[in-house]
Amino acid sequence: MEDRMSRFDRQSFLGPDSESKLHGATIGLVGLGGGGSHIVQQSGHLGIGGYVVIDPDHITDTNTNRLIGGTLADIVPATAKVAIAERQIRGLVEIPRIITVRDTWHTAIDDLKRCDIIIGAVDSFIQREQLERFARRHLIPYIDIGMDVHDLGKGQYLIGGQVILSMPGKPCLRCCGLVTDERLTQEAGKYGAAGSRPQVVWSNGVLASTAVGLVTQLLTPWFKGIPGFVYLDYDGNRGTLTPNDRMGLFQNKVCSHHPPDETGDPLFDVRVFDRLRADMALAKLKASSKPAPVSERQTLWLSISKIFGRKR
Amino acid sequence: MTIHFKINRSLLETIRRDLARPHHFARERVGFLSAGLSSAADDLWILVRSYRPVAEGDYLDDPSVGAMMGPDAIRKALQWAMAEGVAIFHAHTHCGRGQPGFSGVDLREQAKFVPNFFQLAPQCPHGALVLSDTYLHGNIWLDANKPYEVITDFVQVGAPLYSWRTA
Repeated sequence: MEDRMSRFDRQSFLGPDSESKLHGATIGLVGLGGGGSHIVQQSGHLGIGGYVVIDPDHITDTNTNRLIGGTLADIVPATAKVAIAERQIRGLVEIPRIITVRDTWHTAIDDLKRCDIIIGAVDSFIQREQLERFARRHLIPYIDIGMDVHDLGKGQYLIGGQVILSMPGKPCLRCCGLVTDERLTQEAGKYGAAGSRPQVVWSNGVLASTAVGLVTQLLTPWFKGIPGFVYLDYDGNRGTLTPNDRMGLFQNKVCSHHPPDETGDPLFDVRVFDRLRADMALAKLKASSKPAPVSERQTLWLSISKIFGRKR
Repeated sequence: MTIHFKINRSLLETIRRDLARPHHFARERVGFLSAGLSSAADDLWILVRSYRPVAEGDYLDDPSVGAMMGPDAIRKALQWAMAEGVAIFHAHTHCGRGQPGFSGVDLREQAKFVPNFFQLAPQCPHGALVLSDTYLHGNIWLDANKPYEVITDFVQVGAPLYSWRTA
């Protein structure tokens, strides 16, 4: 029975055209560490076809406790995290569209503009805020995941985290209280001295799986009335993922931090765009028009000569 | 080159509701949308910001067409383009389901007034949209002196995401 099923039969409840919708979609993934690498793997299994994967780093031995797809054999050659992500995707997706950016996301904004959804699995609040602002400017849904381990003292720890769907027009990370001026100032003060933060594979997995679930809901919903704003709290000690109070309270709140008149590039000028477009079209034309090979030219010359009765 | 048009689902629903309101003599309603813009290589994104309906008193009583805007309606839209430096799109609805298309009258009238927006906001493209209850269709001018181009890709941003290409 299983042999006769296609690869995606078990997820056919996502809709009759879900396979093509998912393959046609492009996700931007910023941060390919513990959380992002899980998302790469699951998105590949799901059948998402387009990826813009961004991370400036390479794998180190301290990443191997959680970086999905990374192996011990990757440590010595210092394989880039984007290369590990690409390897994962190519192993799971037929004819994938992958753009790898081994740099910060700021160098990949043109690629990110083409994404249907952007997912941030980044460590810092400033990155979260900037990435969300970029997504809002381009009317792209942004999904944020993050976890932390808090020292409670006396050898006790609390694993916490969050998954937020920040939809243009709906509550943002500031509305959620995740990004605050205080946190940004605190983070800026610690710049360069942050050290490594505790991270574990299973918590990242819970958060990443939830994010992939949200991506799937947005692209191929399997029930009606999916929420436009999601804020889930993860408690790794209790093993629970629960809606934050603000998720219910703010469902109809209009975000005041990212007003709609901020969409687009404030310096955009269609006259410049149109000139660039014409130059690109001309360059394309020049590249595609080559002189005919000598043999073809000779044949043509002979034909013309015959018509006019001349011999070469 | 691909021209992408993105609009928030809630805003689109507001526009549809507004355009469906009856007018005391016009058979259709019209309005204007403003949009921010962005590009990458030869791709262009029209990112809708807001909507303003044409005021009740700014319609002309012309039974030969569904709705005829008076000079004040155009003047207010032109002022909007100039004051905020935004792209402006004229919008009306043909209702029904499926992909809508412009009528001959629509195309004739657009060609008269859309190029005027370049006098006040020459840095932005401008255009016109026609809605159905399920889709959008649109034309865009990148230059007042060139023919319009058809907007090819549409995304309704919300939960779920809904996108389509012009047939």
